[in-house]
Amino acid sequence: MNQRTIVVQRDVQSDQKADAAAERERLGRRGTLVVNLLSSPGAGKTTLLEATARHFADRRSIAVLVGDLETDRDAQRLSPLMPVAQLTTGGACHLELPLVQRGLKALGDPEVDFLFIENVGNLVCPASHDLAEHLRIVLISTTEGDDKPGKYPKMFRTSQAMVITKLDLLPHVPFSVEAVTEDAHRIQPQLKVLTNCALNGSGIENWCNFLEEQHQQQLAIYHEPAGNR
Amino acid sequence: MHERSLIRSLLRQVGQIVVAEGGGQVTEIRVQVGDLSGVEPLLFQMAFDDMVPALFSSDCRLALEMVPVTAVCSECKHQFEIVDFQFRCPKCQTNLVQVIQGDEVKLISVSINSNNSIEGVAS
Ligand SMILES: [Zn+2]
Repeated sequence: MNQRTIVVQRDVQSDQKADAAAERERLGRRGTLVVNLLSSPGAGKTTLLEATARHFADRRSIAVLVGDLETDRDAQRLSPLMPVAQLTTGGACHLELPLVQRGLKALGDPEVDFLFIENVGNLVCPASHDLAEHLRIVLISTTEGDDKPGKYPKMFRTSQAMVITKLDLLPHVPFSVEAVTEDAHRIQPQLKVLTNCALNGSGIENWCNFLEEQHQQQLAIYHEPAGNR
Repeated sequence: MHERSLIRSLLRQVGQIVVAEGGGQVTEIRVQVGDLSGVEPLLFQMAFDDMVPALFSSDCRLALEMVPVTAVCSECKHQFEIVDFQFRCPKCQTNLVQVIQGDEVKLISVSINSNNSIEGVAS
């Protein structure tokens, strides 16, 4: 009997992280900024995507991969506005890179300016998975309460921006934009905070400008002219 | 339950190591889980117990160690533990801090029992 211990010291997700980095580079090189949208169910990811598509209209090409536990309702809503592939997780709580790659293939690997990934509604599990995104955005609606960042630190720590939605409901709900911003900044000081309201469209222009800015900044390293399709 | 997905990755890595080591029975897998990894230790253990018998012996033990979140200050280089997810340097109060430990799930070591008596001699 020969008992021995092999010291490894390796990140359990190192293979997945390397795959995600390679995919991110591939998409970035050809001018696609990958945007991973995360939130609780019902925070308004689909509505934000609809408004984004309308704002960009013919100026920017976009496509979306919609993660859903079982149904394709969100995909149906979005399909008149942009190419959509549905990623059904069969009840799983998050998306993983192979699903994203399959969705991209289903779309014919389109050369778009922005590829959005609408993650499944969950503020915990998706935070642990790199989907090759350049930008991780966490959405929080005013109806959810302003104590979310402290409750889901990893999600807010790993995101680059927080989008506060349903601002029109602010007079009716116990939610403070200042409180949620302060809470989020304790966890991620660099977190960019944006607000919007789907009903009157306020904040959408700011959001799209932010996306444009990120497109330019993040893809500059690939030395390609930032998408002038 | 992303714990199952992490266990799947973990067991795949262990499997590769066992093959590279020329086989044997895995008796213990040591793992470090950071407080910022989003992993619930109880669910992690349950997923392990559930999935390990299919690949290795059910005698294979998971040694799980929780790791506190540690950061280093970008300004004064002070190294400190993050408590209550307050990402601020206690010395100079800046919030430009870098997490150096506690946000990942790490395979530390694999213990293997091989009945192969030649092995010790050959190497
Ligand atoms: Zn300091």
